[in-house]
Amino acid sequence: MRDTLWLIRKTFMSTFKNYLNLFIYFVFPVMGILLATLVQGGTGDSELKMGIVNHDGGQAITKRMMDSVGKQDSMLVIELEENEIKGRIASGELDAAIIFPTGFAQSLIAHKPADVKIVSIKGAQVTGQVTATLDQHINNMVSVGRAAQGDEAKFIALYDKFQKPGFELAGKKVEDQSVNFNKTNQSIGYLLILMLVSASNLSGILIKERENRTYYRLLSSPISPRTYVLSNIIVNLTMMMLQIAVTLLIMMTIFHVDPGIPYWSMFLILVLFALVAIGLSLVIVAFSSSSSTASGMQNMILIPTSLLSGCMFPLVLMPETMQQLARFLPQYWLLDTFSDLQQGGSFGELSLNLIILIAFSVVFTLIAVYKFGRNNDTRSYI
Amino acid sequence: MNVLEVKQLSKKFGDFIAVDNITMSVKEGEIFGFLGANGAGKSTAINMIASLLRVTKGEIEVLGKNIAKHSKFAKMNIGIVPQEMAIYEDMTAYENVRFFAGLYGLRGAELKERVIEALAFVGLGDKHKSYPKNFSGGMKRRLNIACAIAHRPKLLIMDEPTVGIDPQSRNYILGSVKKLNELGCTIIYTSHYMEEVEEICTRIAIIDHGKIIAEGTKGQLKAIITNQKNISIEVRSAENLNKSKLEAIAGVNRVEVEDRIVKVTSDSEINNLNRIIQQLMADDLEIRAVEENEPSLETVFLTLTGRSLRDQ
Repeated sequence: MRDTLWLIRKTFMSTFKNYLNLFIYFVFPVMGILLATLVQGGTGDSELKMGIVNHDGGQAITKRMMDSVGKQDSMLVIELEENEIKGRIASGELDAAIIFPTGFAQSLIAHKPADVKIVSIKGAQVTGQVTATLDQHINNMVSVGRAAQGDEAKFIALYDKFQKPGFELAGKKVEDQSVNFNKTNQSIGYLLILMLVSASNLSGILIKERENRTYYRLLSSPISPRTYVLSNIIVNLTMMMLQIAVTLLIMMTIFHVDPGIPYWSMFLILVLFALVAIGLSLVIVAFSSSSSTASGMQNMILIPTSLLSGCMFPLVLMPETMQQLARFLPQYWLLDTFSDLQQGGSFGELSLNLIILIAFSVVFTLIAVYKFGRNNDTRSYI
Repeated sequence: MNVLEVKQLSKKFGDFIAVDNITMSVKEGEIFGFLGANGAGKSTAINMIASLLRVTKGEIEVLGKNIAKHSKFAKMNIGIVPQEMAIYEDMTAYENVRFFAGLYGLRGAELKERVIEALAFVGLGDKHKSYPKNFSGGMKRRLNIACAIAHRPKLLIMDEPTVGIDPQSRNYILGSVKKLNELGCTIIYTSHYMEEVEEICTRIAIIDHGKIIAEGTKGQLKAIITNQKNISIEVRSAENLNKSKLEAIAGVNRVEVEDRIVKVTSDSEINNLNRIIQQLMADDLEIRAVEENEPSLETVFLTLTGRSLRDQ
C-alpha cells in the first residue's frame, strides 16, 4: 500500500505540474456548459422587459391597455419617454418598447385601431410574443368598441364588465423544463467526451513511461507491474471524480442549471461512466505500441463514437440506422439514463442501463488485462 | 561468495532462442564485463537477471536466493543503469532520485540523506534543483546512475553507461564505477568501448548468438588467441591499399583500415612482417611507423565472434 501511495503521489505531482492537463480536466468541461448554455439559449426564463411610451396622454382606455400588458406573467413593464428607448434597448436594459400613438383610445372606441409601434433589436424572438399579446388585447377592444357603438362611457362600462367575467378561471403555470434538460444533456455530452479524453491522457502516462524508459526502471524496483497499473487507475478515477464534481458544482452554483435529476445521482452515474472511460483507455494503451498510435486510436474511437451516441447534438436528429448503432456505445446508455431520469424514471426502472454501463467497464478492463498479460517482453504490465 | 549465479538460463521468443543455456557467476567485489554484439542476447540475459523478463528455462540466484521465489529480495539488492536515459524530464534531479529511491522503501530523513549522497557521488550535488532538460548528455548519464545507486544496491548492472558522452564525463563515470566498487558494490558492466572494459573489468564474459563463448580474466581471454599477433602500420594515406593482396599473404587473417592505420592480424608463428611491408610499398604507400602489439580484447572479440563490437 505504501508503494501504491508513493506512485500515486508522483503521478498527481506530475499531473498538476502540467497546466495543460488542468485545463483539459477542469476548464474545458466548464466551457462545455457555457457552450451548451449559449446553444440552448440562456436560462430558459422568458420574462420580457418592456418599455411603454404613451403618446395618448391620460386616456383611461390606453392606461387600461397598458395595465393589461403589464399583468402578463411573462412581461415586466415600465413607462418611459420615446427619447429613452434607443439607449435603454441598446444597453440591454429593455428587450423592446411599445409606442401607443396619440388618439389610440379614440381609435379603439371607433373600432378602427391605430397602429401601435414596437421597437426592438432582438427581432421576431421578442416582437412575436409582444405582437401576439397586443393583437389579442386590441382585437378584444375592437369588439368592445363595436358593441359600444362609439360611446366612450358605454365602452368603459363594457370593458370593465369584460375585465370581470362572471366565471372564475383558475390558471396554473406549467414550467417549461425543456431548455434546462437540453442544456444539461448537452453539457453532460461534452463532459463525457472530455472524460474519455482525460482518461486516455492519464492512461497514456503508461505508454509515455514505456517510451522514456522510466517504466524499465520502475519495473526493476520492488514495485510490481500490477501495483503500477493500479496506482494509475486510482489516480485516473480520482481525477475524473474531481472533474465530475467540479463540473456539476459549476453547473449548479454558477449556471443555475436544474437538470431534473438530483446532483448526487448524476455524480454516481457519471462515476460509473468514469470506470467505462478508464477501461476503454486501458484497452487503447494495451493495443498501442507508442504515444502516436494511442493518439491515433483515441481520435478514431472517442470522437466518432461520441458523435454517434448524441454527445454533441441530440440523437433524434440522426437517421434511424445511426440511432440503432448508437445502442452499442456506452455514451448512449449514459445519456439515455439521464434522459429517462428527467422524464421521471426511477433507478429501479433504469437498472438495465446501469448494468450495461457496468458491463462495458468490465469487458474493457478484461480485454486490457488479457492483452497486457500476453506481452512477452519487458514492456508487459501484468 | 557469488553475488550472482546463473544456471543453464534460456529465453525463447516463439521459435527464436535469444539466450541459450548460459551459465555464469559473478563474485562479490567484481566488476564483471559482459560483452556481446547487438542481438547477441546480452540485454535479454540482463533483463532476466533484473526480473524484467520471464525466464523460459534455468535459474538465477542473487545473493544465494532464487529470484523466481525471492523476486522482491533480488530487486531490493539490484540497481539498474539502463542504456537509454530513464529519468523524468519534468522532475528536478533531486525529485528524480528521491522518487526512484522511494520505490525501495526509503522514506524520511534516510531517504533525503541517500538522495543527497547519490547526487554528490555523481557530481550533481549542486544541480539538485535543476531539471534534466537543462543537462548535458554527460550530466543526464550521471543522473541516470544516481537514480540506480541511492538505495545502495549490492549488485549494480550498468548497460552502456558511457554511450554518447564527452571524454570528461566518461572519465568521471569510469572513476565513479571504480569508487563504487571500492565501496563494496559488485558491478556488471556492458560497453561497446573495449578500452573501458579493459581498464575497469576484473572478469569478462563474451556472449554471442545467445551463448557464452568465453569467460575469464583479461589475461585468460587474451591467452585464447596467443597464436595471433597484431601489426599496426601507420601510412601517409591508405587510399591505394590493395587489401585483398595483403590478405593473401601467408599467415594474415584479417586486415582493417582505420584512418591512416592499417591493422593486420596474423598468425604469430609465421614471420611475414617483411612481406607485408613489401606489399604496402608495392602499393606505393608511404610507411611512417610500424608497431607490433599483443592482442587486445577487441582482437579477442573479433577472433571469437567474427564481428566488431563498435560496428554493429
